[in-house]
Amino acid sequence: MPNLGELASYLVGLVTDAVGSSSMRLGAAPTVAILVVLLVLLSLIARPGARWSGSGLGGLGRVSRVMALAAESGADATISLGSAGISRAASATERFQTLAALPLLGHVADAAARAGVPLRVTTNDPVAAIFAQATLAGAHQRTATPERASAAAIEYVGEGRASAAAFALATAGPHGLAMVAGGLAEDATLVLDGVLGDAEWSVAATAGASQAAGPLLDGDGSLIGPELFQAAGEIRARGHARTAVLAANLLIWGAIGLLLAGSLITWAGGSQVAAFLTGR
Amino acid sequence: MRRAILAAIVLVTGLLVLLDLMVVNPSLDDAAGAVNELLVLLAAAAAVGGGVTLVAFHARNLAARDGDSSGSIVLLVGMAAILLAGLRPGSSGSSDPAVLWLVAALLAPIAASVFALLFVFLLRAFRRGFALRVRETSLMAGAAALVMVLLLPIGGQAGDWLASGAGWMRDVPLAGVFRGLLIGIGILVAVSAARSLLALDGDDE
Repeated sequence: MPNLGELASYLVGLVTDAVGSSSMRLGAAPTVAILVVLLVLLSLIARPGARWSGSGLGGLGRVSRVMALAAESGADATISLGSAGISRAASATERFQTLAALPLLGHVADAAARAGVPLRVTTNDPVAAIFAQATLAGAHQRTATPERASAAAIEYVGEGRASAAAFALATAGPHGLAMVAGGLAEDATLVLDGVLGDAEWSVAATAGASQAAGPLLDGDGSLIGPELFQAAGEIRARGHARTAVLAANLLIWGAIGLLLAGSLITWAGGSQVAAFLTGR
Repeated sequence: MRRAILAAIVLVTGLLVLLDLMVVNPSLDDAAGAVNELLVLLAAAAAVGGGVTLVAFHARNLAARDGDSSGSIVLLVGMAAILLAGLRPGSSGSSDPAVLWLVAALLAPIAASVFALLFVFLLRAFRRGFALRVRETSLMAGAAALVMVLLLPIGGQAGDWLASGAGWMRDVPLAGVFRGLLIGIGILVAVSAARSLLALDGDDE
């Protein structure tokens, strides 16, 4: 009957064998550099003593008040997730902005659910629509307002940047709150003007460096360049999230240690050391 | 519990993809490839689902005489035309001449027409910007006006001076701001990507 020691040595052997049969895709130095950068960044955002108070980026702190005013006046809220989507043929950085926009959507959806304001989300990517659906469902779950979920709608407006721009222009109208968050390209001005044009209060957010002027001109609040990601991080900064980051840091340290140990074992002759460690 | 399971799945798949980026290992390649194939399948299913939802939404609008009926008809007819051209027997799919003609003769001009509105809407955005925040919009409009002056087609010594001024404007302040933005975006993309891969951006309330 195998005992725990044998099982542990088998598992260690399995790992060292896997490490021994692998090679660095980028070479040792770039790999370590990437991991160190990742660690430093994670450590920075996870430092327990770090200041996590919001800095009022984009005026997002006003969303609850604006939503309350919208509820009083019977207005609705609308959000466009940009035109990059998640599964569309856009660059990874652009598509990642759609993911970064989801916490912002959650923030607005929370406020809309609490205030009972109808919320409409538009996107030109069906995968982003699924993500948005899950985000809205989460908002109604968090705020214990499932009866108001039917007031929220997600609309897929069709494929292409032109579709997003044309839909935004064709459906322009007065809103209590309007937000455009996500990747935008040459369509930026059209989408921003169509969605935000007649809103009582609006936020425009995109990390497209070449489209920085659009949010500054069109939105009451604007998040340009890195601010989109920063705002998403601030909104999601909760206590146990920091704990999870610390745990992840430890995990990465463990992974680095394993990689280094495996590399040393392989460099030092491999099988003998591995055999010694695993007792085989 | 449900959240923990989802977070674990995201964490494992995220680390798998991250490791596959850095380490060459056949087993790791296979596992990461399988994850990517699942992602492609998910995207394809979502795309089909999105199309079906779009048709259902507009068909329901037409049946209930709700919303913009003419817009719904145009959309449904357009979708039917493209599908018919691409899926009819003997068609070569997206590279079929009928599909290419529809794209070149209809879709491309329509898209170009939409984007041709950019100039008008940029002016409108400036008007809105002036109404909202005079300082930032004034700065932006002033810089734009300065660049336009520097790019004036003037010859002689004055023209050379303006051209060199335009080059300096492009290469020093504009490039500096642009690079600063890109560096900031790059750093925060890395942080956000790590948070997503490690499942830290989920519902945490």
